[in-house]
Amino acid sequence: MTTVATTKPGFFERFFARHRGPLLVSPAILVLVAMNIFPLFWSFGLSFYKYRANRQAEPVFVWFDNYIKILSDPVVWSRFQTTAIFVAISVLFQLIVGFLLAVLFEKQFPGRRVLLMLVLTPMMLSFVAVGAFFRYYYEPTFGLLSQAIKAITGEPFIILQSPAGAIGAIIFADVWMWSPFVMLLVLAGLVSVPKHLYEAAEIDRVSWWRRFRTITFPYIRGLLLLAVLFRTIETFKLFDAVFLITEGGPGTSTETIAVYVYRVAFQYFRTSESAALGYILLFVVVVLTNLYLFFVQRRARET
Amino acid sequence: MATLRLECLRKSYGRVSALNGVDLEVHDGEFFALLGPSAAGKTTTLRAIAGLETLDGGRVLLDGEDLTEVPVRRRNMAMVFQSFALYPHLSTANNLAYPLREAGLPRREIAKRVQETAELLRITHTLKRKPASLSGGEQQRLAIGRAIIRQPRLFLLDEPLTNLDAKLRHAMRAEFKRLHRELKATMIFATPDQLEALSMGQRVGILRDGRIVQIGTADELYLGPRDNFVAQLVGDPPMNLIPATLRRDRNGARLELPFAAIDTARLPSSVEAFQPGTEFLLGIRPHDLRLVGDDRRGIAFEAEIRLAEPQGDITILDLHAGGADLRLVVAEIEGARRTPGETISLAFEPARTRLFMKDSGLALG
Repeated sequence: MTTVATTKPGFFERFFARHRGPLLVSPAILVLVAMNIFPLFWSFGLSFYKYRANRQAEPVFVWFDNYIKILSDPVVWSRFQTTAIFVAISVLFQLIVGFLLAVLFEKQFPGRRVLLMLVLTPMMLSFVAVGAFFRYYYEPTFGLLSQAIKAITGEPFIILQSPAGAIGAIIFADVWMWSPFVMLLVLAGLVSVPKHLYEAAEIDRVSWWRRFRTITFPYIRGLLLLAVLFRTIETFKLFDAVFLITEGGPGTSTETIAVYVYRVAFQYFRTSESAALGYILLFVVVVLTNLYLFFVQRRARET
Repeated sequence: MATLRLECLRKSYGRVSALNGVDLEVHDGEFFALLGPSAAGKTTTLRAIAGLETLDGGRVLLDGEDLTEVPVRRRNMAMVFQSFALYPHLSTANNLAYPLREAGLPRREIAKRVQETAELLRITHTLKRKPASLSGGEQQRLAIGRAIIRQPRLFLLDEPLTNLDAKLRHAMRAEFKRLHRELKATMIFATPDQLEALSMGQRVGILRDGRIVQIGTADELYLGPRDNFVAQLVGDPPMNLIPATLRRDRNGARLELPFAAIDTARLPSSVEAFQPGTEFLLGIRPHDLRLVGDDRRGIAFEAEIRLAEPQGDITILDLHAGGADLRLVVAEIEGARRTPGETISLAFEPARTRLFMKDSGLALG
């Protein structure tokens, strides 16, 4: 018996032909739902229960108890304070260093490309690598920093010993890693300034400072704002550098809110509380992100 | 008071040389035009005068003072850029006030000068607006205003009318002449448009490949071009250049054109010294060709009309005569009667022609 080559396409063939696009995307969507979206909603539900992941006890529905507990907890507020210090100082220095680097790299000079590559490297490294690197860098006995200072003072220098030193050390690592990001944004603004405007300003004999304020700055203002928002959101979630370099110490002086969430969840096992705190953080980030999007859209309208 | 002297300016960008020894003298209070095709070095010359380009050689002298090493901001010159280079984030008023900001003038004085300048250029209604919302003409006047608000020693205008539409350009030509009369300042402007150069410039310097070819008044350039380049650059439509060969036999010497021959005695310059067979280019202005009927004075010939380009008041006829292409300007009424393909009779006066060597392009006499 011979089969005819062109039989009517079967049910599955027709189904695949008609829904090819959705079918191709569905595995990714399934993974996303299983790994991200479901846990997101699950933990949201969890934040209204009293539940500990390391106990057998049944979850008890407690309404907003977890949220009330967290928002009235002085420890949480002190962790927010620590985070605020990190955000303020780190973002400020990232802006300053990034801006100065951008001014440097705006000019053409021999070796510019190679140097630019080097400067951009920190940003591309993994968080863990950077954390581990700085941990060794600050190490009291054989760390580079301690050794260098020992050569001058004769005493080993333990920067992570004092709260101020530890905060400074983490901020230094963060600034080192993320200034290039700010630089890229500012550089994009700087090179977008038409050259003839500088020439006209030279002819018009205006001072360097006035030229910067009235000609250059308007071109980088928007990008600078994006850099601030972006870095604020990221630094607000600062976890890896802290966890790898100081683990929150000495004491709790460098424990950011992100590290605290981790501790509540996986060391104290106050699971539902950590879920609630996680949602409070998410709320803050969503507010910041919307601010960011608002400025992106305004910038798009300007140009 | 400002007399400008350029001595053998040289500038190259890598292998491309922009200026090959520009010599020029601009008198005090003169409205001087630099005319040349694109990439002739007009902009580079202006930028060199302003100090925006570092020269490879030569000197820039203003009233005898050597400015070659003086930085831009201490030269006290004003420049209107081809792109206008208005400060996009400043209002018209602030754009105007910009050159005065560092001069230490009191606020009230600055405001007064801004007002005066805006009135002079008729842009008072735009003072609060940003340049992007201004029309082309307003932007251009703002650019000029920024140049004239302080009293610079020298004005440099780089193709100030190129970015404007034809109608506005015409109005601005008159505006510039008025401004120059009122300011009595030394002004140099660059333009690729011969009409602009001739009508605005008191003298015109013609640039070609980074060198000054000829300097003169409109008349001097129109009537006595130094070579075939100037001849074709000045005048619209450009001068007809017709290949011509010198012949000598027992009837005497004559210049042979593809469509006629001219007794050498009737030419404006002597060609006696040249060998027979020497090749020339005979330049005839399209305006010097005339249609003839019975009156056959001068050298007469026949030509076929290839194309008629009506321009409103006049018509330009593209002609073909004995293998040579010619252009002729006739009144619109004349032009309307002619059709392509038609043969017409023409004549020209040999005394009004100009001879160029074919090889070097240089003019005789």
